[in-house]
Amino acid sequence: MAGRSDSGSSEKKSSEATNDVPTFSAENLQSNMKIIYYSRTFMSIIGGVVAGILGFTGLTGFIFYFLVMAITSVGLIAKAKFSVNSYFDSWNRILLDGFMGGLMSFVLFWTFAYDIVHIF
Amino acid sequence: MAEDLVLDTAIRDWVLIPLSVVMVLIGVLRYFVSKLMRSSQTPDVKIVKEGQVIVRARNLRAGANFIPPKSFRSRRVYFSNEENGLLHVPKGQAQNAQAAMFSDPNMAMDMMKKNLSMIIPQTLTFAWVNFFFSGFVAAKIPFPLTQRFRSMLQNGIDLSSVDVSYVSSRSWYFLNLFGLRGLFSLILGEENAMDDTQRMMQMGGFGFDPTKSLSAEKDSLDIVQHEWALPKFEHRAEAVLRKLVS
Repeated sequence: MAGRSDSGSSEKKSSEATNDVPTFSAENLQSNMKIIYYSRTFMSIIGGVVAGILGFTGLTGFIFYFLVMAITSVGLIAKAKFSVNSYFDSWNRILLDGFMGGLMSFVLFWTFAYDIVHIF
Repeated sequence: MAEDLVLDTAIRDWVLIPLSVVMVLIGVLRYFVSKLMRSSQTPDVKIVKEGQVIVRARNLRAGANFIPPKSFRSRRVYFSNEENGLLHVPKGQAQNAQAAMFSDPNMAMDMMKKNLSMIIPQTLTFAWVNFFFSGFVAAKIPFPLTQRFRSMLQNGIDLSSVDVSYVSSRSWYFLNLFGLRGLFSLILGEENAMDDTQRMMQMGGFGFDPTKSLSAEKDSLDIVQHEWALPKFEHRAEAVLRKLVS
C-alpha cells in the first residue's frame, strides 16, 4: 500500500554499479523523495488511527509505529524493484527520511482514535 | 492508573471532535485565503536574469563531465572570467542592489501579508477555543509522561492531582496545531508544506543578496575538477551491446 504512489515521474536514472560517474537527475531524485515523504506521512496517519482503535498504550504504540515504518520501507524498496541505488543516492533515504516527521502525526491520530474509542 | 477519570461522552461529542474538525477546516480555509491573497508581482528583470545565469552555471557544473575539456574550459571562461564573465560582479554594484532591495515596499508588504495570514487565524482560533472550551479534560494520551509535561498538556487546568497523561482542551488545540501539518500536506498537496518552509526562508533571508549567490556560484565553478566521462561511456555501451548480442 505504501509504495502505490511511487510511480509516474520517477523515471529510472541511468546509473549502474559499473558506472563510476554518478549520474542523477536532480528533479527525479527530488520527486522520489517527495513520494517517500508522502507515503510516510500517509502511513503514519493510518498507523496512528489503527493503533488507537486497537487500543495500544505506552511502549506498544511506539513499537507499532516502528513496525509500520519498517513495513513502509519494505514496501518502498519493493516498489523500487529492490534496486534502490537506481532511484536514490543512498540507502538512508529510503530507510530513515521522514521518520521523525511522521511521529507527530502518528501521536496525534493515535491519541484521537484511542480517546474516541476507549476513553469515554 | 487507579485514579482513572470518567469522562462524559458529551465531552467527546461536543469538545474533542468539533475542536479537531474545526482545526482541520481552518487549516484548509487558511490555505485558500493565502492562495487568494498571494499577489503576483512582476519580477524584476535584473533579478530574473541573474537567477537564470545561476541556473545555467549550475547546469554546467552538473554536466561538466559530459563535454570535452576544451568546451568545458571555454564555457567556464564565459561564465567566470574577471572582465566580462556572466558571474563576475563589479565591485560597486553589490551595495546598490541590496539597498534597492531593502527600499522596495512591495516585498515588505508581501511578507507582512503572509505573516498576517498565518497569525490572524491562529489567534482567532485560540481565542475561540479559550472562550468555548476552556477547562475541559478533553483527551488522554495513551502513553505515560513525566511531570515536566504537565504545563504543556494541562494548560488551563490547575489541578496537580490529575494524572499527567490527561490533556486539557487548550493543550489539545496545541497538539492539533503541530500534528496536523502532516495531514495538510496530504490533503492540500505538497505546496502547503513547502509554503511554510519557504516562509521561514524568507524570514531568515530578508536581506537576501543576489550578488552573493552569483559569486558563490562562480567560486564553485572555478574549483570543478573536469574529467571527461564519455570515453568510458563508449566502453560501457560496447559492453552492454555485446551482452545483448551474445
